[in-house]
Amino acid sequence: MFSTLHVLAQAASHAADAAAAHGEAASGLTKITQDFGISVPDILAQILSFSVVAFVLWKFAFKPVLATLDERQQKIASGLSYAEEMKRKLQAASEESSAILKKAQIEAGRIIDEARKSAKDHLEKQTQEATAKVTDVLAKGQQAIELEHRKMLADARSEIARLVVTTTERVLAKRLTDADRAAYNDAAARELTNV
Amino acid sequence: MATGNKQIQQLARQLYQLSFVNGVVTAEQVAGVLEYVEKHRPPNSMAVLRAYQRLIAAEVARGQAVVEHAGPVDVSALNAIGTAMARKYGRPVTTIEKRHDALLAGLRVRIGDDLYESSVAGQLGALAESV
Repeated sequence: MFSTLHVLAQAASHAADAAAAHGEAASGLTKITQDFGISVPDILAQILSFSVVAFVLWKFAFKPVLATLDERQQKIASGLSYAEEMKRKLQAASEESSAILKKAQIEAGRIIDEARKSAKDHLEKQTQEATAKVTDVLAKGQQAIELEHRKMLADARSEIARLVVTTTERVLAKRLTDADRAAYNDAAARELTNV
Repeated sequence: MATGNKQIQQLARQLYQLSFVNGVVTAEQVAGVLEYVEKHRPPNSMAVLRAYQRLIAAEVARGQAVVEHAGPVDVSALNAIGTAMARKYGRPVTTIEKRHDALLAGLRVRIGDDLYESSVAGQLGALAESV
């Protein structure tokens, strides 16, 4: 930068010198500079000061600002990239969760169906067992009633027979005469001799 | 103990066999056996005598027909029963008459462990059992 300004200043100075040297040829240019109040040394000084200011600004203002801008640009790009990555991951997670949810729904449906089937089977089994138990209890009760009935009839028959025999014995003991007994004894003796 | 019992039974049976004359137990033979036992006093004589008594009693019972009856019975009927039993068992049988009014009417003959009955009480009992 400095070298460029130095070259320009030398060129301007050399041009002024050349114009002065030529006199007539340069009278037009000189006239213009005089008309516009342009002074070569001032121009050179302004160029120099401008160059210094530009250099300082470039060094201590533009470069940090540009570096900051680059850094922010990188951060923004990184953020965007991260956001894009997160979006993709979110999409993948969403798809994965949807698949898991769908799978879970299918599994839940299957479990519910199995539970219903098992409950139905269990209910049928319980019903059959209860029916069998009721039938068994009824049959046993019927048997018990039948046995009790038979026993009661047998007891009654036995008691009636005992009463009949006892009564008959008492009646016969009173009514049989010795002649009746003798006749019966003769018949019994004949029976026993034929044993 | 078992050997002692066996010896007692064996001796009682020997004495029992000595009590027979012509296949019949006689009072004289039994008296002779008892006299022999009293004189010689074998070991366990009381046990031997008890076993001998059981054997003699069983033999006597086999030769006796106890005729239980309700009401009058002809002697000829009793003799006929004794003859029939002797014919049946193949040995002399004497009849012993015994009144038993619970029979109501009829006869019951007990000889040894055998029982023959033709009585009203027996028929009523059989009727009660069959119902």
